[in-house]
Amino acid sequence: MSSLLRWLGAALLLAGAAFLLSDYHNDVYRKLLLWVTLALSYNFLFGICGQIAFSHFAFYGIGAYSVVIFLFQFHLPFPLAILLGIALCILFALAVAIPSARLEGFYLALATLALAQLFIVVLNEGGAVTGGPGGLANYKLPEFLGTRIRGPWYTAVIVLLLLGTLAVLWRLDRSWFGRACRAVRDNPEVAAAMGVDVARTKVTAFTLTSALAGIAGMVYAFVDNTVNPPIFGLDNAFLLLFMVIVGGAGRHAGAIIGAALLFLVPFVLSPLIGHHHVLVFGVLVVAAILLQPRGLVGLYDAIRRHP
Amino acid sequence: MKNLLAVAAALLAASTFAQEPIKIGVITDRVGVSKPYSEPCTEGTVFGAAEINRRGGVLGRKIELLIEDDQSRPDISAALARKLIDQGAVFILSMSLTPATQQQQTVTMEAKTPQMTPMNSGDTLTTQLPNPYFWQTGPLGSIQIATLLAHARAQNLKRVALISDNSDLGQLLARFFRAGLEKAGIQIAAEEVVPRGATTAEPQMQKIRAANPDAMFMAGVLTAENVLIFKAYRQFGLKFPIHSSYNLSVPVYMSVAKGLIDGVTFVDAYDPDKPEVKQFVAEYTKATGKAPFNMHGYGYDGIMMVAEAIRRAGSTDKEKIREAMQQTSYAGVMGAKGMKYRFPEGKRAGFDPDGMVVRVYEGDRQGRVVHVGQK
Amino acid sequence: MQDFLELTVSAAASGCIYGLIALAYLLMIRPTGIINFAVGEWAMVGAFGGYLLLSKFEWPYPLGMAAVLVFMLVIGWLTERIAVRPLVERGAPLLAPILALLGMLVVFREAISVSFAPDPHPVPYALGIQRQSFFIIAVTSVVFIGVWLFFERTIAGKSFEAVAIHRRAAALMGINLSRVTALSFAAGAGAAGLAGLLVSPNVSAHYLMGVPLAIQGFTALVIGGVGRVEGALLGGLLLAFAEQLTVRYAPIPAGYAQGVPLLLLMLFLLLRPTGLLRAK
Repeated sequence: MSSLLRWLGAALLLAGAAFLLSDYHNDVYRKLLLWVTLALSYNFLFGICGQIAFSHFAFYGIGAYSVVIFLFQFHLPFPLAILLGIALCILFALAVAIPSARLEGFYLALATLALAQLFIVVLNEGGAVTGGPGGLANYKLPEFLGTRIRGPWYTAVIVLLLLGTLAVLWRLDRSWFGRACRAVRDNPEVAAAMGVDVARTKVTAFTLTSALAGIAGMVYAFVDNTVNPPIFGLDNAFLLLFMVIVGGAGRHAGAIIGAALLFLVPFVLSPLIGHHHVLVFGVLVVAAILLQPRGLVGLYDAIRRHP
Repeated sequence: MKNLLAVAAALLAASTFAQEPIKIGVITDRVGVSKPYSEPCTEGTVFGAAEINRRGGVLGRKIELLIEDDQSRPDISAALARKLIDQGAVFILSMSLTPATQQQQTVTMEAKTPQMTPMNSGDTLTTQLPNPYFWQTGPLGSIQIATLLAHARAQNLKRVALISDNSDLGQLLARFFRAGLEKAGIQIAAEEVVPRGATTAEPQMQKIRAANPDAMFMAGVLTAENVLIFKAYRQFGLKFPIHSSYNLSVPVYMSVAKGLIDGVTFVDAYDPDKPEVKQFVAEYTKATGKAPFNMHGYGYDGIMMVAEAIRRAGSTDKEKIREAMQQTSYAGVMGAKGMKYRFPEGKRAGFDPDGMVVRVYEGDRQGRVVHVGQK
Repeated sequence: MQDFLELTVSAAASGCIYGLIALAYLLMIRPTGIINFAVGEWAMVGAFGGYLLLSKFEWPYPLGMAAVLVFMLVIGWLTERIAVRPLVERGAPLLAPILALLGMLVVFREAISVSFAPDPHPVPYALGIQRQSFFIIAVTSVVFIGVWLFFERTIAGKSFEAVAIHRRAAALMGINLSRVTALSFAAGAGAAGLAGLLVSPNVSAHYLMGVPLAIQGFTALVIGGVGRVEGALLGGLLLAFAEQLTVRYAPIPAGYAQGVPLLLLMLFLLLRPTGLLRAK
């Protein structure tokens, strides 16, 4: 009961903040929340289950594009469009994960690297369906009961998405499945000896986190009411990896801190030092890893232990 | 005496009020893929704003540029558009990637804030969204191909090759080049793409050679990949003429494609013999110690057009600026002699269809204008 | 037929570039297990070295090439000192140096990006446009033969292999682990820088050239397998031939042609997960 109250309090606090912010800060806040959501699910895949994949933004894109295409080109009802979008993400995730699970090491990394590039090729070549390089625009979130959710209210929707994602991952992390994931990450042979089905655990974790990314993508599609290829490319996939590392892989708090910090860096540093901000960002990443391989969360722990 | 003091005080207040600058937002790219084009364009705008202020500003007020760097990331770009609007920008100039400009539009349309791109050339920017607050003065892909075809009419082209790259703009230009060629009843015998990061364009050029075209049209905008195409062309000793998009009009090709581009024709929005261009080059060089090129001209024309629209609007009210902007009739640095930017009949792409010129490389130099317009 | 012969030369040259990058990965992975994605940026640094020395200062080609190579060895050694050694000495997990090197990737790219104009910069050919492909093939062959002989025929090379097979046992046998690591990074940077210098007359030196090369080289490495030096070259050649034959002969729209090697790669991984050549 008290934990439910805590979640409710967090939702009210995070959503309430949106109503105090200007248009610009609301927009940055919305995109920040989405990055944090993505970092959380990616952290589960990479930090907790130990799988390196570069397809998270491709699934984000599959979610975003599919909901727009199903809704506004095939004119499907809203719930069906969402369900089909999720089904599509699961389908693609299984197609990549099942073969990759048989392989060791960085083969998932390579397979997902290929998938991410293929996805961009398909978006660019997709003609009228994907809108090609220009993407899709000129659509709006369907109305519910005669009102359209917009402005800070839409920010509140993203807060729910974030907390929902966190809740799912939190529960999973604390279940037998989370322990199986950590065991697979730390030592697959030992995990298998303990009776964990390594391949199945990997596939499940990949499919689940990819579907979560897809759902986040559906929410993203209505943030600016446009989707286009550059958002879903490899650059952002690498950035996401950096976020999780800098914050502290394997910890929910780490993902949140890393995503918030690295997303906001250009907004804060760019006005101060101009185009050198990316160089500073690189130095920060290297320094963070050198000083504290367990990320900023690890740094926090160390400070707390030896004040 | 008392009255006089009151009047003086009122005047003083009015003049300090008038001193407050007019804020114009600029969204550019200083680190991403668009940087080689965004930076000179922005320099042109910065120079233009300084010129306007030196000559007394607009409506008695100075122009203040608020410049933001979106790193060619469209989602950040849209957030920056909101930032500029929150900071009081009455107009936004977009000089980043085409999809970034597109994503900013979703914001300016909602916030009813005038926005213009002086350099993006994808035809879809003004057609995809019904945004009355957006204009585009970059020379459209459809104008580029029509101008090239008008010049090549004497060659009586029957079948041609089309080559491009996989960048956003390269794909968009290729789409409109294809449409233009089909409209003219010319068969596209081979269509090839050189992907970003390729180490050779030989297989693509072999295919084109096998198709034996009357000419080859280039729609790509990635410099390194375009140079690969020229290298394969020279290596194979090919002879068919090459007609390129405006991408070949930037001066970098003179050094990076040395010895490869003699005789290549390209479409440009810049005529070095035009009096406005000569004056612009002289003034820019004097002020900055650096010679400008056509990208600077796009940015310069952009800010000049905005300033002129605000002047005609007589206020910084966004709705009045929108109306004035739509009535634009402005002769600038870019375009053929006598060309004016206009937005007739509610159109929002303002580069005159007859305003482009065709030029030809003479040795490694960007040479003379050999054709003007679509006739 | 003429087409096929031309294509063989051009694909062989591209394959050699991919192979050199794959070799750079392999030289570091074998003794340390560290995947260094910054090899692409090293290639970029090599290309910019070529631009400065050969285009701007107009040094004679052999001298410029030697200078670039020495400079790259120093860069590799320094990178290891800054981003790898502190972590290895502390006993950090293997992932830590991999990620620190990803950070170095950004540092290298931005350092170049803020120091040079954003446009591509020209780098001259060694022997002219018609002979560049053959030059690339010749230099790559020399490098691979040299590296192969080093590992097969010298005691130092054997000690590298010993580290690759079992780190702790090698250390007990008196092999200086940190020296092997430092050398492998210097050699990796040398190979990557050479690849950058060789490819730059074609693609020019520009600040975004690193990542595509890093991806192509990594793909070549996976195809060839990390077990043996020859595998890197074989993987590179296979990738380049797949790419260029698809573009030339496959009857599919041009835009999709770039996706075919990726699909092939995924298929290949399924059938042969350890790469083409297994470790001996």
